[in-house]
Amino acid sequence: MQESVIQAAKDIRIKTFKAIHNAGGGHFGGSLSVSEILAVLYFSVMRIDPSNPKDPDRDRFIISKGHGGPALYTALALRGYFPYEDVLAGLDKPLSNFPKHVDRLKQEGIEASTGPLGQGLSIGCGMAIRFLQQKKQNRVYVLSGDGECNSGQVWEAAMTAAKYQLNNLILIIDQNNMQIDGPCDDIMPIQPLDAKFRAFGWMVRTVDGHNAEEIESVIREIQELQVDDARPAAIVAKTIKGHGISFMENRPEWHSGKITNDEYEQGIRELEGTQ
Amino acid sequence: MKNPRVELKTVYGEVLVELGADNPDIFVVEADLMKASGSKPFLENYPDRHINVGVAEQNLVGIAAGIAAAGGIPFACTMANFMAKRACDQVAMSVAYNMFNVKLVGCYAGLTQEKNGGTHISFMDIGVMRSMPGMTVLVPGDSEEFRQAVRAASVFQGPVYIRMPKLLQGSLPGKTYEFEIGPCYQYGNGNDLTVIATGLATDIALDSLQVLEEAGIAARVLHVPTIKPLDTESVIRCARETRACITIEDHATVGGLGGLIAETLTAACPVPLARIGMQDAFGLTADLEFQLEHFGITASHVAAEAIRLLDGRGQNE
Repeated sequence: MQESVIQAAKDIRIKTFKAIHNAGGGHFGGSLSVSEILAVLYFSVMRIDPSNPKDPDRDRFIISKGHGGPALYTALALRGYFPYEDVLAGLDKPLSNFPKHVDRLKQEGIEASTGPLGQGLSIGCGMAIRFLQQKKQNRVYVLSGDGECNSGQVWEAAMTAAKYQLNNLILIIDQNNMQIDGPCDDIMPIQPLDAKFRAFGWMVRTVDGHNAEEIESVIREIQELQVDDARPAAIVAKTIKGHGISFMENRPEWHSGKITNDEYEQGIRELEGTQ
Repeated sequence: MKNPRVELKTVYGEVLVELGADNPDIFVVEADLMKASGSKPFLENYPDRHINVGVAEQNLVGIAAGIAAAGGIPFACTMANFMAKRACDQVAMSVAYNMFNVKLVGCYAGLTQEKNGGTHISFMDIGVMRSMPGMTVLVPGDSEEFRQAVRAASVFQGPVYIRMPKLLQGSLPGKTYEFEIGPCYQYGNGNDLTVIATGLATDIALDSLQVLEEAGIAARVLHVPTIKPLDTESVIRCARETRACITIEDHATVGGLGGLIAETLTAACPVPLARIGMQDAFGLTADLEFQLEHFGITASHVAAEAIRLLDGRGQNE
């Protein structure tokens, strides 16, 4: 693991927090839980070229939990797709190219517009089916939330991925245990996610979603296994909603909200480790 | 003598195999209704490009979106009723909002579901699909036009919905054109009345010309195989050249062709207008002819409405 990936995760989190506050509030919780996942994908494992965003040989990433858009924009910006200052100035602004739910027609690097939950995995499966049929090496990564897995379409897609042996597909579930109305266990118990996906015919691994080294090594292990094992893979990434901000962590009310300037200053100090 | 109605599943299977041979990007996606759509010949010819997701219409549309995102040209088919309602948000978001190059085919459309009845009859698919920004909506009037519509959709860039009844006339009588996406097609040039029709109702509209003539009304039929984008120029021209319009369709007039023409003419050229179709009602469990009669989708109803609109008098009288 290169130190730069860990640093990228830290930068993504700080700059995502800053961009959401600058936009007047937004989806802090679920954007702050995915920094390490995005850092590993964009700064280590994905084959991408920011200078050639339409490269037909590129790997594809779909953020099915579309409200994590600010984190994805920040990751793309830090990776060189567009200036971070554009994200900061544009996020959620009227007619902006940075709407909070990502829009592929507005920004290079966004592979699918998402927002209504549960749809991204099907799109990812369709891409994976096409690449396998063409015998191409492109890989497809999908990031979903655990609350999102309430949606029946996720399981429709899960069956399809197993049937068509999509061993070029990796689903990462941001399991932060919270959904909009409260803890997943109260709103709609979804556990055990690992056993569910295994029962659907998937290869499953569980990781600490805030340990970039662990995420990376599991993805590499899966990629090696998928050479001979024709199963799609799911990584259940145990994360903390609002990770890094003491007053947000594990509190479902921070799925979306606003903070004061004092809270912002406190959050930045915590994320930078100066407090 | 009328051409007999033919089953479109045969046509769909044939044209898909032809397209699949010419273009390696063509995919077929099914949701356990391959026997209704008729795509099995494609499966037999190109098994690696025929995907069946089981009874899962939302996933059907999402998978097609992903195939298109990776450069394929998927034809995703399920019953029109399910495409428009069960998968409505996936059509809107995964396909239309993304502007993915997906071809959606709604089979067993409209009243041709016949005895599957009110749970299966699609009376709002045209309304739903034409309300989707960026969606092209095709409602062919005969089996040859359906074949040409599928071909046209395959080379058109962008999302397309094709309405596919179980049965259509083999070929409309007196046809002189090759189908293209866009234009309306005019039959006759009577100056009293324009009967604006789509899908299987165009055949009925053409039947009405004789009945209208006997009533002293000189009419024309404007066939609308492309619901969206509408050839508004032809619709407005015909409305201006005649004294009244009647729409006819095997679909709800709310949201359907009737709604579309009312919206168009109210804004541009208000004329007396009657709208024939399903009026705020679900379909019935009955054969096609019974349902057409029940909902008044008949040549005699066109004539009755024409006499009412024209106060009993054509100009020829």
